[in-house]
Amino acid sequence: MSTGMDRRQFLKAAATSALGAVVFAGCAVPKRELLVESPVRMPEDLVTGADNWYATVCRQCPAGCGVIVRVMEGRAKKIEGNPDYPINRGKLCARGQAGVQALYHPDRVTGPLRRDRATGQFSPISWNDALDLLGARLKALRGQPDTVVLATEPLRGSLATLVDGFVRAYGAASHLTLEPLESTPLWDSMARLTSPILSSYTLLSVLPEFDIANTRYLLSFGADFLSTELSPVRYSLGYGEFRHPDESGRGTFVQVEPRFSMTGANADRWVPVRPGTEGVLALSLAYVMISEGLADSEAARAMTGGRGADALSDFQPERAAAVTGVPAGTIVEIARAFATQRPSLAVGGGPAAAQTNGTFNLTAIYALNFLTGGVGALGGMALNPVPPKELPRAARPPSPFASWRRLAEQMRTGQPRPVNLIMFRGVNPVYSLPTSLGFAEALARIPLVVSFASIMDETATLADLVLPEHTYLEDWGDDVPVPGPGYQVVGYQQPVVLPVHDTRGFADVLLVLAQEVGSDMEQSLPWKTYRDMVRDGARELHSLGRGSIVEANIEAFWNRALQNGGWWDASDRYTGPLPQPQLLPTQAPTPEFAGDPHEFPLHLVPFASHSLGDGRGAHLPWLQATPDPITSVAWQTWVEVGRQTARQNDLEEGTVVSVESPQGRVEAAVYVNPALPPEVVAVPLGQGHSSYGRYAQGRGANILSILAPLEDRENGALAWAATRVRLVKAGRRQPIPKFEGTMFAAQVPGSEVIEVTRP
Amino acid sequence: MAVESQYKWTMVVDIDRCTGCQACVVACQAENNIALNDEESFLRRRAMEWIRIERYWEGEYPNIKARFIPVLCQQCENAPCEPVCPVYATHHNEEGLNVQVYPRCVGVRFCANNCPYQVRFFNWWEPVWPESLRNYLNPDVTVRSRGIMEKCMFCVQRIRRGQRVAAREGRLVRDGEVLPACVQACPTNALVFGNVKDPQSRASRLMAHPRGYRLLKETGTGPNVLYLKKVDPEFHG
Repeated sequence: MSTGMDRRQFLKAAATSALGAVVFAGCAVPKRELLVESPVRMPEDLVTGADNWYATVCRQCPAGCGVIVRVMEGRAKKIEGNPDYPINRGKLCARGQAGVQALYHPDRVTGPLRRDRATGQFSPISWNDALDLLGARLKALRGQPDTVVLATEPLRGSLATLVDGFVRAYGAASHLTLEPLESTPLWDSMARLTSPILSSYTLLSVLPEFDIANTRYLLSFGADFLSTELSPVRYSLGYGEFRHPDESGRGTFVQVEPRFSMTGANADRWVPVRPGTEGVLALSLAYVMISEGLADSEAARAMTGGRGADALSDFQPERAAAVTGVPAGTIVEIARAFATQRPSLAVGGGPAAAQTNGTFNLTAIYALNFLTGGVGALGGMALNPVPPKELPRAARPPSPFASWRRLAEQMRTGQPRPVNLIMFRGVNPVYSLPTSLGFAEALARIPLVVSFASIMDETATLADLVLPEHTYLEDWGDDVPVPGPGYQVVGYQQPVVLPVHDTRGFADVLLVLAQEVGSDMEQSLPWKTYRDMVRDGARELHSLGRGSIVEANIEAFWNRALQNGGWWDASDRYTGPLPQPQLLPTQAPTPEFAGDPHEFPLHLVPFASHSLGDGRGAHLPWLQATPDPITSVAWQTWVEVGRQTARQNDLEEGTVVSVESPQGRVEAAVYVNPALPPEVVAVPLGQGHSSYGRYAQGRGANILSILAPLEDRENGALAWAATRVRLVKAGRRQPIPKFEGTMFAAQVPGSEVIEVTRP
Repeated sequence: MAVESQYKWTMVVDIDRCTGCQACVVACQAENNIALNDEESFLRRRAMEWIRIERYWEGEYPNIKARFIPVLCQQCENAPCEPVCPVYATHHNEEGLNVQVYPRCVGVRFCANNCPYQVRFFNWWEPVWPESLRNYLNPDVTVRSRGIMEKCMFCVQRIRRGQRVAAREGRLVRDGEVLPACVQACPTNALVFGNVKDPQSRASRLMAHPRGYRLLKETGTGPNVLYLKKVDPEFHG
C-alpha cells in the first residue's frame, strides 16, 4: 500500500482512530491516521498497460450511435458513447454497452461450417473451399433468371452500395430486407406528407428529425422513442433537455397508447386508447383545433379543402370517444393544449403503426404538425437535408412483410420460378416471421442456403453453409444515420481489435464472390477489400472540402475521420421548400383484427423488449439480465395482463398461461401490470430461441411465432398488433425472475423515496 | 495533522429526467467487473446491481403513474455500514467516498445489514465467466471472490486515473474530466457528478437546487448523493 502501512500498523491505526472518532466527533477534518487506502489507489508501476480508445459505429440497433472502445493489450474492454458524435453525444444505452459480449461471446461460430443434410451435422470447412463452392454455384446459376435471393437487414452506407452493385452486376438475384417490427408505415406516411415537393430520392433517404429538446408540448401515439423506436439515445438526450426546468421551461408530454410502455411511463399524462383507433383520435384532435380556431388557418383550409371543421364531422369528440375509448373531454383538453402550447410536436409509432390501417394512423398523427406550424420549425418536425452524392448511400425503407410472404410462397411452390440459392445476413427470418408463413419448411426446399451469422441463430441451423462474419468491432464500414440530427453526418466504423476467430467481413466475402463469378462483376466492384471501398467513399467526402474535417490531403482526412469516428457538417441543413399540408381523410379505415372477438377476447399487443429488441440482443447475458423497466423481469418471457383481467380470469403473478391466437399458442407466466388496459394482453419480443447461443437458447417464448399474417392494406407491412388471443391456464405455476422485491422496501416515516412536486 | 483533500465527490440525480432506461446499470456492470446475474440470481433475489432502477406505482388504472429512481451507494457522511465493520474493510476516505477494501473484507455482512439503502452486495458464489468473456474484464478493478462484500465507490478507479493525469500536469481534476460509468452513459443527463469543493462545478451549482432532497433523510445517514424531485403537473400532494 502506498501509505507504507503493514497490517499490524494498520490495526493499531484502526484502534487509535476508533478512539479518535469519539474524541473528535463533530470535527469534519479527517486525521491522517484515519486514511486507509483502498487498494485501487495503486502505485504507478502497478498499473498494467496503457489504454487506447478507438472510435467506431455501434451496430447493436439501427440507430447507429458513435462509440469509443477502450482497448488494452489488444482486448476490447469497454464501450462508451463518442462525445463528439452528433447522434448520441457521448451517451450510450444498455444494448450499446453490451457490444463487448457480442465480440467475446463463448458460442461464436469460430470458422466456416458445412452441413450434411442427411445427418443435419455441421463440420468445419476451409474458407477457400467454402467460397469456391459458393462462387461456383453462383456462377452456374447466373444464366437462370432471378433464382438467387440475398436477404439482409435494411442497409446504409457503402455496404448498401456494395450489395446494390453486387445484385445489379450479378443480374439474376434479388435483394430483400427484413425488419421484424418494420418501419414501412412510417416511411410511407412521411412520403405522403412531404410529397410532392421532395424528390423521390429524398423520400427514400431521409426521415425527419423530431426536435424533442425544443418542443414544449409533446404528443406521442404509441411511439416508444425512449426505449426502442428509431434512435432512442438521441431522443433520450432531447428528452433530458425537454425536462430541464431551469432553462426554457419544462415541457409537457402526453402519451396515448394501448399498452403502458417505458416511454408512456415517463409521460406527464398517459392515455389508454383502443388498438388501431389512434388515427381517429388524431383526426378528432384536428377537428377540435380547427373548429375552435386554434389551428393555423391556412393549413386548416388546405387540409379540409376549404370546408373547415365540417369536413371532419365524423370525428367530433363524442363520436371519436365512442371509437377510441378516450373520453371526449380528454380529447378536447389535449387538442387545446397541443394547439396553444407551442412549439408542439406529434409523433406516432409502435402499435399505432402495426395495424391494417397503420399507415393511415401515422399519416393522420403526423399531419397534426401542419396545423400548429410545426413542420420545419424549431421544436417540431425538422427536415433532414438530402445527402449529396458524395456521401455514402442513406437508408431505404425495408421490404414489407408482403414480399416475404410472396418469397415463402415462391420457395414452397417453385412458382413462378424456383429459388435455387438464398443467403442471409443480419436477419433471422426463421425466428422473426410468423410460423404460419411456413418459412422454415420452405427453406428445406432450397438447394443451397447460406448464412453469415456470427452466432448460430435459428436460420443458420438450417443453412448448408455458415460463413461466419466479423462482429462490428472487428470490421470496417461507414454509416449515414437515419433519421439524422438535422444535418449531414457520416460515421466511420473500424476494427478495434484483431478478429477473435477465423471469420471474415460480409462485404469482403461479397467482393471475393464477385471475383469468382466473373470478370465483368469484378469490374463493377473493383475493390480488393471493403476497407478500400470505404476509404474511396471518404475520398469523395474529402473532396467536398467542408464540415468537421477539412484537410489538404486524403491521408490526413482519412486518419482524422477514423480518429473522430466520422464526419459531419452542422451547417448543412435543409433549406428547400417546406412540404405543403395535404387534404385530411374524411373517413377512417376500420382496423381489422385476426380472431373472432368471442373466441379470442383480448387484443395481443407485442412489444420490442427494451434490452433484447426484436430478439437480436438475446444472446448477450448483460441484456438478458437487464430488468424490463416496467415489470423488472429478466431472462424470461412474461405475459402482461391488467388487474381487472387478472381478477376475472383468476390469474396472478406466476400463473402459467397459454396465449392462443388463431395461428398458434405459446406459454409463459403472467405478470400483473396495474397499468394495462383490461382488453389488452402484452407480451415482449426477444425470447423463445431454439438456438442463438447458451444465454438465449431454450428460454421463454417467441410471441412473433403466433402472429396472424395480417398486413397494412396500403403497403403490405406486417400488422403485428392486430392479432386477437385468449388466455388458457396451463395448470401450473412458474416463479418470475424479476428484480422487483430483491431489496426490502424501506419505510421511513417522513421520508418518501420518491418526492414529487408540481412544476 | 489534519489533511484536507481538495476533492469531495458527489452525485446529483434528477429523477425528473430519469426514464428508467437501465443504461447506467449495464455501464456499471461493464466497468466494475460485476458477476453476471443469471436467472437463478434473480429468482433468489440476489442479483447484484451497484446502481439499480427502482420503479414505484402510484394511483390506479387508468390514472396510474410509474416512477423511476436510480439508487446507488449514497456515500453517507454518517455511514451506518462503517462502524460495524470489524476489520475496517469499509471506511470513509478523505474525498467523501465510502470505500470497500476487498482484500480486508472477511464477509460478516454486518455492513449490508446496517445499510438502509440496500446497496451493498455479498458474493454468495464465486463469480464465473466463460473464458472468452474474461477478455473484457477491466484490469483496473479487482474481481471479487466468494465471501466478499462489494459496492459502488463512484468508480474510484476512474477518479484515481484522472487524478494521476492531473497530478502529472500539475493541476486539479477538471469538472467533467472524471465521470463514473453510470454518469457517463446516462442518455438523459439525469446524473451529474462532480467535486463540491470546486464551487464552479456543475454538481456544486446544483447543491442549493429548490427540488433537492436526500434519500431517507430521517435515518440521519447524511447522504452524499442529492436527489432532485420528480415534477408532475398532475400531482396533488
